[in-house]
Amino acid sequence: MRPALRPYLLIVPALLLTGGILYPFGLGLYYTLFDFSASKPQPDMVRLENYRAVFTQEAFWNSAWVTVLYAVGAALAETVLGVSVALLLHRSTVVGRVLEKILILPLMIAPVIAAIIWKLMLQPSVGVVNHLLKPFGLGGVQWTDTPTGALLSSIAVDVWVYTPFVAILALAGLRSLPASPFEAAAVDGAGWWYTFRRLTLPMLWPYVLVAVIFRFMDSLKVFDIIYALTEGGPGDSTVVLQIRAYLEAIRFQRYSFGISYTIVLWAVVYLAAMVLVKHLGKIQRKAAEVTT
Amino acid sequence: MRKRALGWLGDAALILYFVFALFPIAWMVILSLKPADQLFSTYFSFSPTLDGYRTVLGDSEGIPFVRFFVNSLVVSVGAVALSLVVGLPAAYASARWRFKGSENLMFTLLSFRFAPELTVIIPLFVLYQKLGLFDTYVGMVWVLQLVTLPLIVWIMRSYFADLTPELEQAALLDGYTRKQAFFKVALPLVKPGIAAVSLLAFIFAWNNFVFPLILTSNEAQTVTVGALSFLGGDRPKYNLTAAAALVSVVPPLLLALTIQRYLVRGLSFGAVKS
Amino acid sequence: MIRLSGIRKAYGKTLALDELELEVREGEFFCLLGPSGAGKTTTLKTVAGLERPDSGTVLLGGEDMRGVEPYDRGVAMCFESYALYPHRSAYDNLASPLRSPRHRLPAAEARQRIGAIAELLGISGLLDRPVGQLSNGQRQRVALGRVLVRPARAFLLDEPLSHLDAKLRQQMRAELKAIGAVQRTTTLYVTHDSVEALALGDRIGVIREGRIVQTGTREEIWYRPHDTEVARAFGRPRINLLPGVVAEGGVRSDGGVELPVRTRAAAGTDVLVGIRPRDLALGGEGHELTGTVYITEVLGRSVEVTVRLGTGQRRVSLVAPRADAARLRPDDPVRLVVRPENLLLFEADRPERPGRRIETQP
Repeated sequence: MRPALRPYLLIVPALLLTGGILYPFGLGLYYTLFDFSASKPQPDMVRLENYRAVFTQEAFWNSAWVTVLYAVGAALAETVLGVSVALLLHRSTVVGRVLEKILILPLMIAPVIAAIIWKLMLQPSVGVVNHLLKPFGLGGVQWTDTPTGALLSSIAVDVWVYTPFVAILALAGLRSLPASPFEAAAVDGAGWWYTFRRLTLPMLWPYVLVAVIFRFMDSLKVFDIIYALTEGGPGDSTVVLQIRAYLEAIRFQRYSFGISYTIVLWAVVYLAAMVLVKHLGKIQRKAAEVTT
Repeated sequence: MRKRALGWLGDAALILYFVFALFPIAWMVILSLKPADQLFSTYFSFSPTLDGYRTVLGDSEGIPFVRFFVNSLVVSVGAVALSLVVGLPAAYASARWRFKGSENLMFTLLSFRFAPELTVIIPLFVLYQKLGLFDTYVGMVWVLQLVTLPLIVWIMRSYFADLTPELEQAALLDGYTRKQAFFKVALPLVKPGIAAVSLLAFIFAWNNFVFPLILTSNEAQTVTVGALSFLGGDRPKYNLTAAAALVSVVPPLLLALTIQRYLVRGLSFGAVKS
Repeated sequence: MIRLSGIRKAYGKTLALDELELEVREGEFFCLLGPSGAGKTTTLKTVAGLERPDSGTVLLGGEDMRGVEPYDRGVAMCFESYALYPHRSAYDNLASPLRSPRHRLPAAEARQRIGAIAELLGISGLLDRPVGQLSNGQRQRVALGRVLVRPARAFLLDEPLSHLDAKLRQQMRAELKAIGAVQRTTTLYVTHDSVEALALGDRIGVIREGRIVQTGTREEIWYRPHDTEVARAFGRPRINLLPGVVAEGGVRSDGGVELPVRTRAAAGTDVLVGIRPRDLALGGEGHELTGTVYITEVLGRSVEVTVRLGTGQRRVSLVAPRADAARLRPDDPVRLVVRPENLLLFEADRPERPGRRIETQP
């Protein structure tokens, strides 16, 4: 065997399998140029008509807006909460060491199961959450039955599942920070806030960055949690883009139109990824300059 | 004194977060143990019974939950096994040799991690019905590669890259072949990584919902979709739903606790090592 | 005998080896010296057959090694990372070359051989321990043992001592030279430490940016360095390089300093005069220079004295016995003596390459 060929032979199976995943993607792209649906199994070529329809549909813009709200809200809340939890755990108190062992539990529960769990808990009349809130005069909250409540509840479930993700990465980051800058700061008599702002945060930033990018990208394509918790309701208030694509393609069996939705979402995710990586990369370099 | 008080405050905040994180799980345990007639009449005091579990695992209510559980096991194991067989050589090649094809492959695989699943699934839904793969194990194992293959290739590449190539070069000089150097030297050294990433990939495959939701209907349906069906109907049976939810989270939770040490690298796709 | 000719090796756009020429004679201990990134390891791995050159030929014992697998080249190599299997015992690591499918020595014979090598290297007591639990020095011995355990027509050693602390390094240097097999076998030894190269090498090759700059015995390298860079690489404190201009009867430097170096170079040429710190003395026969003490630094039994030459700001350092230099204080006037035959002459350094040595005339 020629040595130059060896690496190629080793990746051939993976390339084939990858092709097996890219093929349906290409096929989907092709379908979007037709008006393929269950009621029209012999479709006609419509060129970019599907995309025009997507962008002129008010429902699309509504979905896009809901998706952005969801993604920003979830990523932001998880980052703040996750980093806080990591900082608290990093102190390594007795309580912290015990709790750290079970930190990952919610993260390992399937998001759809998490949504089921919360759905049972948030049920307005018999759910346990309203029962526990009753003594505070807050009983009877219509959690998932109002538009704002439904969105906030979905975000809350996302936060419940994924906060440990941010916390684990941030904690790994905190544990890998060099000790000497902190010792120097302590010798200089720097206060907690100063140390946190000028040392911890800039040095921790790369780790937080990884977590933020993962969480933001993932929440742009949220499906499981909303499907199980609200099914997009009430009304259209929580119909994020993947739910909309599902409804169009699977419920209404308008395949071409539904796939067009997912292609648009795919493009949005890619653009977001590029912008995020580029923009946050800049901030990261700046943060690095501050510390050096 | 002030420092001590702050310390207590920190612990209190931690405990608060963990109540938020753990109460839902505890509440599911409670719900699943409630007899049907005490579901809504009481909250924390009731006479515990395993009837809920008996019903769920007894395939009553028209939901073959045990079969779903077995299905989850089969397709998750199958998906991980396929990804390992195909992914390990690719990960090794791209860690050891820089070449164009491997960089393109790695990037494509990473992009799978962030691609909206429906972009692939809806065309597959159409395709599978033509090919007869709809609601089959083979169909599920194929589509789950979208989840397991990128994970395994990326993480294993980072493990292989951590090994100095001089280990295998020394073996070549000792008289071993390239193949033997891989199997006798490189592979044993990344074994813990393989174990960890396999379990993590298994968990992700197990927890997947949208693939079986769209690409299966009954024969190959998995627990995530199965658990949701307990919520259907006019009067959802809370105790059964809770029992089904708990049964379906047991395997991932148990596995997760065993690989905690390796989780950081896996969750961040090798971007963060601990 | 190892012979490399016209070896080129590129990784992407970076050229690791650039028309490299190298010859190691039969039985010789050859040190390849260069900074990191100069292509030392690539050279070794090219000899071993672990790297394939883009062009050029590798000869081992006169045979062309093109297409010959690493094992069949019959060389043994010690890697900089040691390349030991961390999860296996020291014994298993030493046995690895003997158990390989190509070698397959009977177990009893292998045990005897490993026992002898372990004895030689003083690691007999460590054989059962996993390598992961050994200290750096112990690992280094195991790695060396793996090289010695089976007969080889050449040893290739890649910075084997670089991870050891200074004291252990010195000790191992002596031990390495004393091993019979090493004395008999052609050895190509890579290092970035010029002291090590001078101590070990029968001959030394200086490598820079993928090319061999100079090959020679330690005397040749020391007294006839190819250029200022080679001159700077050997000797601590470093060689003094005084900028000057070729003039009638010698070289004129700043502050009224005249040096008696005769050369054919045209008057007015910019040059550097090299004076080794140990060739400068505070008294005795030779050419005299005056100056004032800048600073003194005690180095054990001797003293490094830095002197401002003449009336200028140029400084040179010299090493003097403690007795001679003990009373010197900053700004004391001193008289320095150098023998004209010890002066080296170089072209002035240029941005694109260091100044080459210029022949001097007695």
